[in-house]
Amino acid sequence: MSALEYHVLLALASGPLHGYAVKDAIVHESSGALVPRAGSLYRVLARLLTAGLVREATPADAPAHPGLARRYYALTARGRAALGEEARRLMQTALVAEKRLGIARSRS
Amino acid sequence: MTRLLRLALRLFPVPFRAQFGTEMAEQIEHDYAHARARGRLTAIGFVLATAWDLAHSAVAERWNPTWTCARPPLAEDTGMRSFAQEWMRDLRYALRFLRRTPSFTVVTVGTLGLAIGVNAAIFSVVDRVLLTPLPYAHPERIVHIAASAPGSGFPEEFGVSAEFLVQYRERSKLIEDISTSNSFTNTLRVGDRVERVRMSWPTSSLFSTLGVRPILGRLPVDADEDKAAVISYQLWQSWFGGDSSVIGRSASMGGGNRTIIGVMGPSFHFPDDATLLWISSTVRATGITPGRFNNPLVARMKPGVTTDQLARELTTLSKELPRRFGGSNNYAKLIEKHHAVVRTIEEQMLGSVARPLWVLLGAVIIVMFIACANVANLFIVRAEGRQRDLAVRRAIGAARSQLVRAQMAEAIVVAGLAGIVAVILARVSLPAFLRAAPQGIPRLGDVRLDGATVLYTLVAALVAAVACGLAPAIGASQPDLTRLRDGGRGATAQRTWARNALVVGQTALALVLLIGSGLLVRSFWALRHVNPGYTTENIFTFQIAPEGPNLRDGPSFARFDLEFMDRLRALPGVETVGLVENIPLNEGTATARFRSEDMGSDPDAGTVLNFTYSAGDYYKAMGIRLLRGRVFENSEQLSASGKVILSRTAANLLWPGQDPIGRRIRQAGDSSWATVVGVVDDVLQDDFRDKPQPLVYFPLVGPTPLSWAINSPAYVVKTRRAETIAPEIRALVKQMAPSAPMYRVFTMAGLARDSMLRLSFTMLTLGIAAGLALVLGAVGLYGILSYIVAQRTREIGVRMALGAEAGMVRRMVVVQGARVVALGVGIGVVVAVLATRALGSLLFGVKAIDATTFVGMSLSMLAIGLLASYVPARRASRVDPIESLRAEV
Repeated sequence: MSALEYHVLLALASGPLHGYAVKDAIVHESSGALVPRAGSLYRVLARLLTAGLVREATPADAPAHPGLARRYYALTARGRAALGEEARRLMQTALVAEKRLGIARSRS
Repeated sequence: MTRLLRLALRLFPVPFRAQFGTEMAEQIEHDYAHARARGRLTAIGFVLATAWDLAHSAVAERWNPTWTCARPPLAEDTGMRSFAQEWMRDLRYALRFLRRTPSFTVVTVGTLGLAIGVNAAIFSVVDRVLLTPLPYAHPERIVHIAASAPGSGFPEEFGVSAEFLVQYRERSKLIEDISTSNSFTNTLRVGDRVERVRMSWPTSSLFSTLGVRPILGRLPVDADEDKAAVISYQLWQSWFGGDSSVIGRSASMGGGNRTIIGVMGPSFHFPDDATLLWISSTVRATGITPGRFNNPLVARMKPGVTTDQLARELTTLSKELPRRFGGSNNYAKLIEKHHAVVRTIEEQMLGSVARPLWVLLGAVIIVMFIACANVANLFIVRAEGRQRDLAVRRAIGAARSQLVRAQMAEAIVVAGLAGIVAVILARVSLPAFLRAAPQGIPRLGDVRLDGATVLYTLVAALVAAVACGLAPAIGASQPDLTRLRDGGRGATAQRTWARNALVVGQTALALVLLIGSGLLVRSFWALRHVNPGYTTENIFTFQIAPEGPNLRDGPSFARFDLEFMDRLRALPGVETVGLVENIPLNEGTATARFRSEDMGSDPDAGTVLNFTYSAGDYYKAMGIRLLRGRVFENSEQLSASGKVILSRTAANLLWPGQDPIGRRIRQAGDSSWATVVGVVDDVLQDDFRDKPQPLVYFPLVGPTPLSWAINSPAYVVKTRRAETIAPEIRALVKQMAPSAPMYRVFTMAGLARDSMLRLSFTMLTLGIAAGLALVLGAVGLYGILSYIVAQRTREIGVRMALGAEAGMVRRMVVVQGARVVALGVGIGVVVAVLATRALGSLLFGVKAIDATTFVGMSLSMLAIGLLASYVPARRASRVDPIESLRAEV
């Protein structure tokens, strides 16, 4: 799973969002490390939609948003599971990395 | 701007666009508005980044689709699909076509790539040195303050003394903060490592005036007295390995132990790039001796104040100085004439290098125009060749926009490739350029090929694509349908006119560059032939600063120097050895007021003269002519002798038209007289462009042993081995003065080269630009005439069949070329008259509008134009009438 995919799923984990809100959430949650441009973002969204990890939300379960009418995206159950799995994997690899770096530091 | 990006959306496949197109467009619009609000550069960056993202996402999406859910296409989609697809197809065709015509591709990509690459390299220098704001807070409010006093005998501009600082600090209403600093080369000793480095003694307010903070430690405060020092990032890295425990360490700097209290950031340089550390100092309002003019001031103006306002205020304030601080009558007279000189720190630091750099940027932009004209020409020629093909396509219903697009696609591909070539070229050429550049250009060490340069290159490539592709594309889009009937012969008058205009432009621009570099070559020639009063061949010079318990006063240093010179003279191959306190072309001399015994007893009488100290066979070694009397004898160097040598100008100032030998002079403030024993020829001390200064040479010992001590003179060694003798001398220094670092090691020939480097460097680079322009211009002319000749083969064939002679045909073609070139030369001369003014202070011994250069270069340009026409003319005269007629049937 690419970093951008992970962050899209992460953004949708708190509830359905429209495309622009997804982008804002990614910029915010990656502390500005990821600034997805339109082309990349929507390709990732398309991939996740095709893979069934994300679905289009019906406007009823999305909060009302002033301004332009848009599509909303939401996590599917599979998407939620995939996100959880990826998060665990990241946590474990982070632990391993910490441990190794810790050992390396004490050796030097 | 966003419309362009919306167009880029069309690159995506239809289903993807149908699903996400509207949302993507909204996001782009939204983000663009945000980026725009944060400045134009951010907006441009956003557009470029987004365009890149859209382009590669779209390609990826076509290659490897993520969105396959079939949906009924929207009604407008057929148009959009065809647009995007056709662009892709055109680009593909363009690539294929360019691959099939490798010579065309290599010539166009090479020409454009060369021009853009040179532009990118020069731009990155201009960007870093001139366009990047100085790394101080609000640099536009920081000013350099000096003094001027026309008619006082002082230099045109000079530094001020401490009482000015105190007065301005306390009374000025227009400044927020003010500081002064004094810079010297002095000894830095950390542990065993000893070197002479450039260091500065600023008041602690320097850092607040500039608005800078250290990256480590703290800044000095007045309570530090002179015991604290802040070091530069460069010194921190090279001497202390970037170790943060450096704070609190003690080191010997400038003859005293100081504690290192702070480290500045890597981009902080003041007053120049060479200064490596700043030792705290204070200036108090009491106990000042007025009139020790030495140091410029740096001040921060309050917001909204102009330099003119400040100069007026400071001039008024300085008039109170004699009343407040006392001083001699001379001082009071000087203050009457005094004007404050105020200029922004940017002008002070960058003013002298700005001109050559802008000239260079201008020159390479001209080369860029010429390259574009050439490439545009090649495109026009190609479009001509395809007239028939285009006419057929138009006739069977192709839209004009389609034909334009097809032509533009090629230009875009060529410019894109040229952009890549350019970035590589800039990467390779920039280090070479930086190595060749003269010393002392501020911030040159920070020049990198960075984002701004790449952005500039991309923009240049884009502009080039439009410039090269648009005219031929539009021309080709309205093909003459009659071509279908007459079999595609002959060129329309309109297009010939367009091509001729390009050649006229090229010739004019190339001539401007030629004249510019011609003027610089003449200046260089004149400067090379200036007689500085000394020879620069076979002379090696260096300085040492010996220390020791025996070295305390004038006579003890003099004994050391004479003994050291004896040892130097004993080295193999050394002819003559001497010493001087300030070696020409490297150090300036000090000034003081002197009067002769014939000037009466008025304490204010006298003239300002420069002075220095000499010993050994200095004049003989340097080839300075002795005009009258004699030079110092070694026996006069060890104790007070009261002798002095004058330069010719000094002698003429003191005793015009009389023999000065045996007469006496006295420095203001001294009690004893010195007798003139000799007069030597003038020397150019600072620069070959200067007029000679009046100079007084003293011996090594003054009236008392402590009057002065010459503790680090420049030794002058005349030897044929000037370039190779340094290691032997280093070994000798190690033996005689083990702890003394050897520094300011030069050959006079090297110093002479360096002093002309600003000119020779500009000359060389401008010369290269002019050469490029000339070659490109000649190639362009040749290409056009060849093409015209090819087009007129049939006509020429008919003429020859009817009896025209080869010579006549040749003349006809050459005259056609000559007319275009002559018009270009005419325009070029007019432009050059306006443009050569930009060379201004770089010129020496030649006027900006120099008839010889103008005429000479114009004639060369004409000659080259005629040569470029002659080759196609010869080909025309060899046309076989039968062949040419048959070919078209």
